[in-house]
Amino acid sequence: MATHEDDLDPDIAQALAQSVDQVDPPAALCDRVLRSVGPTTRPRVVSHSTSAFPSWLATAALLAIAAGLSVYSFLLRSRITTLEGELRDAILRADASNTQLAEVRRTATDAQSRIAVLTASDMSRVELAGQAVAPQASGRAFWSRTRGLVFTASNLPALPPGRTYQLWVVTAQAPVSAGLLKPDANGAVNAVFNPPGNIPSATAMAVTIEPDGGVSAPSGAMYLVGPAKGA
Amino acid sequence: MWVMLAIAGTAPTRRVEDQAADRLALARMARGEHDALAELYDRHARPVYSLALRILQDRADAEDVVQEAFAQAWAQASRYDVQRGVVAAWLLTLARSRAIDRLRSRRARPDFAGSESAVADVADAAATPDLQLLSAEQVDRVRAALRELPALQRITLELAYYDGLSHAEIAEQLEHPLGTVKTRIRQAMIRLREALTGTK
Repeated sequence: MATHEDDLDPDIAQALAQSVDQVDPPAALCDRVLRSVGPTTRPRVVSHSTSAFPSWLATAALLAIAAGLSVYSFLLRSRITTLEGELRDAILRADASNTQLAEVRRTATDAQSRIAVLTASDMSRVELAGQAVAPQASGRAFWSRTRGLVFTASNLPALPPGRTYQLWVVTAQAPVSAGLLKPDANGAVNAVFNPPGNIPSATAMAVTIEPDGGVSAPSGAMYLVGPAKGA
Repeated sequence: MWVMLAIAGTAPTRRVEDQAADRLALARMARGEHDALAELYDRHARPVYSLALRILQDRADAEDVVQEAFAQAWAQASRYDVQRGVVAAWLLTLARSRAIDRLRSRRARPDFAGSESAVADVADAAATPDLQLLSAEQVDRVRAALRELPALQRITLELAYYDGLSHAEIAEQLEHPLGTVKTRIRQAMIRLREALTGTK
């Protein structure tokens, strides 16, 4: 239902009302309108022709021309309406295609990043095990300092509102955030990150629960952790 | 309304005479004179029918709407406040309201069930907002501006006006975010207003 706030500006509405292509109504409509408000007939203007040309013939010719023009006008209008509909559909399809194309590009870029990490000569693999708060959860990280970090996890508990999971690279100095994780409805994560290349030698990787937007140092419960050997 | 001042300042004498004749015809209709309705019909049936046809895309339905609009004008002639706007603009509003009601009946969706009376109220003589007619020059400028609108802006605006859809319904139909729909309509209205006032 149209709400008041959805109403168009009255000036614009009037402009749109007057901007439509003008079409003559059928001649019989006038009598129909007049009959609808009461028993009356419209006064007719009687013309007295002085021409030698038979009046019935002129009337017949005019009627034939009018009928022809009416049919032609109707056909043209139908064609225009069809074309307008086709144009509208085409524009909407083009818009949908652009959206899909952007999605495909994102997917392709993501896949290229994963392949680059998994085939990197400096790639290290880290297995992460579920902790007491999520014993069924597990994770796996593939980390290349030159190409990035691919992280997968499964069976992570659903996040309460306002919370996120955060992945950490634990070093001898301090944990460094690698990125935020949003599991799907099944508790699965499949993400690609680009952590800073200058992270000191890693001793472990871990996943904690943190406030939305993440934090600079871990503060919440640890859900996953695993030793990093040679990473 | 500053646009009304702009319109009044450029109105040709013919339009002013027609508007005076319309007010007179309405007064005569209020006294039950059928000839006055015929006169009003002769002057305005074409734009009223054209708008109904644009909305409904069906000649028979458009004819029904024209009949209903003029019948409503006849019934409400005595209540129409001629000081509040131009009769021709009122007739277009009546026709649009009736046509949108028909579109909604066609869609036969439960959430439209309660909307008919609301739309009818908008066009009621006693509730008529200030309505003004545009000059032919303004109509030409608006048409040109409509053609130049980005396609999605134009489609969104047309769905709002000619299909009578709410912003939320347009968002659902186009599968676009509600905020995007609102932005498109706002931008389209800004461009049309610039065309109306000749500021662009």
